[in-house]
Amino acid sequence: MLVLGMLFHMKHVSRSPFDLAVFVVVPVVQATLAVYLFRASAEPQKLLQAAVGAGMMGVWSSVLFGAGGAIQSQRWQGTLEMLMLAPRRPVMIFLPITLAQGAIGSYALLATLVWARVLYGIRLDFARPWAFLVTAPVTVLSLGAFGILLASLFVLLRHANALQNALEYPVWLLSGMLLPISSLPAWTGPLAAVLPTTWGARAMREATAGGAVWPSLAWCAGISAICLALGALSLVHVERRARAAATLALA
Amino acid sequence: MRGTLRLLGMGSVIAYRALFNWTTPPVFIGSLLVGPLFQLIFFAYVGRQLSVGDDRFYIVGNAVLAAAWTCVFGGTMAIGNERRFGTLGHVLLSPRSRTLIFLGRATPYALNGLFVAAVILALGAGLLGLHIPASAIPLLALCLAAGAVASAFFGLTLGALGLRFRDIWVISNVTSALMVLLTGVNVPLDQLPPVLRAIGTVLPITHSAAAARDAAGGAPIAAVAPDLLIEAGIALAYAALAAVLLRIFEAESRRRASLDTL
Repeated sequence: MLVLGMLFHMKHVSRSPFDLAVFVVVPVVQATLAVYLFRASAEPQKLLQAAVGAGMMGVWSSVLFGAGGAIQSQRWQGTLEMLMLAPRRPVMIFLPITLAQGAIGSYALLATLVWARVLYGIRLDFARPWAFLVTAPVTVLSLGAFGILLASLFVLLRHANALQNALEYPVWLLSGMLLPISSLPAWTGPLAAVLPTTWGARAMREATAGGAVWPSLAWCAGISAICLALGALSLVHVERRARAAATLALA
Repeated sequence: MRGTLRLLGMGSVIAYRALFNWTTPPVFIGSLLVGPLFQLIFFAYVGRQLSVGDDRFYIVGNAVLAAAWTCVFGGTMAIGNERRFGTLGHVLLSPRSRTLIFLGRATPYALNGLFVAAVILALGAGLLGLHIPASAIPLLALCLAAGAVASAFFGLTLGALGLRFRDIWVISNVTSALMVLLTGVNVPLDQLPPVLRAIGTVLPITHSAAAARDAAGGAPIAAVAPDLLIEAGIALAYAALAAVLLRIFEAESRRRASLDTL
């Protein structure tokens, strides 16, 4: 069900010119921005890390706007009632959607690397290439699982769109996707530590530049699993509340 | 004359209120203030870490970008949403000049953009410790206003394209992403290749951001006047382009009976 659901949602998104244009163009723009910023800096040797970081930024954007808005999208399309009527747990209905958004976000990672190699001649010399090949899909799927928690939280908030718009840059910053977290004020450390994106970005960076990849990856997967469990509980609560109050279809 | 001014003034205000009838303070604050503020902080830290530009470069530049963002999306929706919500036919049936109706809509978006830029600049400067002398504020406000007006007309140009193309959100989202890269707000223009730099110089806010940075540093009006004049010229050029596109696409929509085709 997970695999079929993922494939179905990926096909669904591929029919949307908006999603395609945004997912195809924006990551490439971000990769270009990162490349020129790092070229202009005193650290041009970190161009590969910048490209990977820009790719991770694209993954987060996909999860935030796609997975986070999964329930809202179904509501606007008039399919939420049908999904809720299905004889499955809510989490099993929405997890394929959020995982698919994570998987679609992996395009951003791939596109930024190809873009960096082809256009800017950045050599893809990963310190631990095999670890990178494992880390990338695990991180992407972990963020997809994290998306369930976002989806359930956002449905509780009437103005989830505003929160989505506000959450993109802080998570890029706090997770150290483009910059080391050490460059931020010390008080941001605990906030960063509870985000799976922080550990995913760290694992990717360690696979790129060298370091202990697996502990970071384990933290990323572990925190995402907790988020998935919390999201599943929250979805049950949301469903019951919406049924009781007859507010399921209210946008 | 009085009727024209009334059409421009009242029509713009009513259209602006209609556009934001769905919104509430949390949506306005979250989308137009909090998001751009975090964007400013993100790039300010990038600038600090990479030593590409100082705080003034990023704080002032991203405040101008916040205004542009507001105006581009607003301007795009001001025209494109008429078609989306099925009200375009009513507007085009009006015996008054549609060009005036649509171009007049730039005013509220520009004012809104100016407000957003001022708030973002004040918050960003306060949080990150950028001192702007009080004597620089009037000229800085003029620079922000120039950028907001140019962006609003640019948004109307994109909105005109919404009369022809199905999905205006694609146009506005992709354009906004490109503006982050090409306007010299986050990457200094001299670091971009000539082609990208050339595109950046004809986009709104490129020159107003440069002027605003100089103004925030205490430069006199004579020093920022060239950039301000270029920005004003860009605003006029986009206003003219929007007017031409509106007439062409209106005629095309009537000829092909495709007013409400989504």
